[in-house]
Amino acid sequence: MMNTDLIIDKVKNTLITASCTFSKDKAEAYRLAIQNETNERAGWVLEEILKNAEIADRRRSPLCDDTGIPHLVLEVGENSVVNSLLLKSIHKGVAEGLKELPGRPMAIRGNDIERLDQSAGISPLSEDVLPAPIHIMETSENITRLHILMLGGGPAIRAKTYRVFHKHSVDTVVDEIVEWAKEGVSMLGCSPCTLAVGIGRSHYEATCMMLEAMVEGKYNVQSEIERVVTKRVNEANIGPLGLKGDTSVLATFMKIAPQRASGVRIVAIRPCCCFEPRKASVDL
Amino acid sequence: MKVIRSPIIDEDIDKMQIGDMLLLSGYVFCGRDAVLPQIVQSDDSDLTGMLSGSVIFHTAVSKAGLGPTSSNKLEIESSMIPLSQMGVKIHLGKGRISDDTIKQLDIYNSVFAIIPPVTALLVENTLSSEVIAYKELGMEAFYRIEVKEYPIIIAAAHGRSIYDEH
Repeated sequence: MMNTDLIIDKVKNTLITASCTFSKDKAEAYRLAIQNETNERAGWVLEEILKNAEIADRRRSPLCDDTGIPHLVLEVGENSVVNSLLLKSIHKGVAEGLKELPGRPMAIRGNDIERLDQSAGISPLSEDVLPAPIHIMETSENITRLHILMLGGGPAIRAKTYRVFHKHSVDTVVDEIVEWAKEGVSMLGCSPCTLAVGIGRSHYEATCMMLEAMVEGKYNVQSEIERVVTKRVNEANIGPLGLKGDTSVLATFMKIAPQRASGVRIVAIRPCCCFEPRKASVDL
Repeated sequence: MKVIRSPIIDEDIDKMQIGDMLLLSGYVFCGRDAVLPQIVQSDDSDLTGMLSGSVIFHTAVSKAGLGPTSSNKLEIESSMIPLSQMGVKIHLGKGRISDDTIKQLDIYNSVFAIIPPVTALLVENTLSSEVIAYKELGMEAFYRIEVKEYPIIIAAAHGRSIYDEH
């Protein structure tokens, strides 16, 4: 028998945690960046961001006023039961979490056309911000685990999903990722970034990989290709808030799907802002 | 760190240099994409008369707090010069703005400053908040807040930009 009240409560608290706290590995990545930063202004910005995280954690208040759109990833094991009741409970927990946080009231009212031009106005209720469609991942663990990511608008403006003609060279793909990242990070304003990268056979698959990369990525565990991307973007000297410096990017989280026999790879890249990926997980 | 207090006078601007790290206190107006173009078009002299020597922070104001949005968004950046003509002295936001905007800000002795997106810290340092105009826009209405020691960095002043500094 599913305890829906318990699920709703867990989801609510997980959403609030995702919105208010830095993970241990992210806080440590900031401390390391502060130690290594040679630009005074950049170092000051990094210290302010870390101080902000400490205040947000203490007050259980949002890290950023753009509290983001909830993105949900459900990890299901062999014995998991995913039914409509579970999904409804998750959505209810999300709404309660947004209400209590409180999330920024930014749901646009109206029909399809009115929502495009905002002509019917904005709902004053935080909980009217609906989550994006749920993404499901399989796992060998015997769990039903929900990951909640709160994705802000700035990185969405600078994110990109497009094709790369790879010419049978990893370097070609990496070169393109680095160029896109440099452009996105420099325009974002809220750096240092964490680069989320997904590579797939379609735009959908690439974006799903990017989302999974955000769920699974760790600042203290970086693959060779992730390290190369981070290093090369940092060499561009963009710096926190674009103020120059050594720390444009804290880390890269990359996930690569099966690929097709083709000269094309589809790459999705999101320059996650200085607080993202805002994420937390819970076993339901 | 040097503290500046609004309203801002021309002599304050004259002393500002790109890269200056300052603490801003006093009254600050808040607006972004939806409301700034309406302020520019407004014929309400009581409203536009309040802008002399003012600071405009590119932010929404909601129960989630406040924090800078990208100042290079079309409707925000295109409002900066007309608002400078109306007397705004500091445009406060984030992101790189165009060389053309930077040059024109100098004509009206205005500057562009950036603020870290540190919402939790800013909320602690916000003393009061009230809607001044366009209440129907909700969090995107035109607000006036009173702030204590907001951390800011001068990013563009006197025709020069921190982004082009080597």
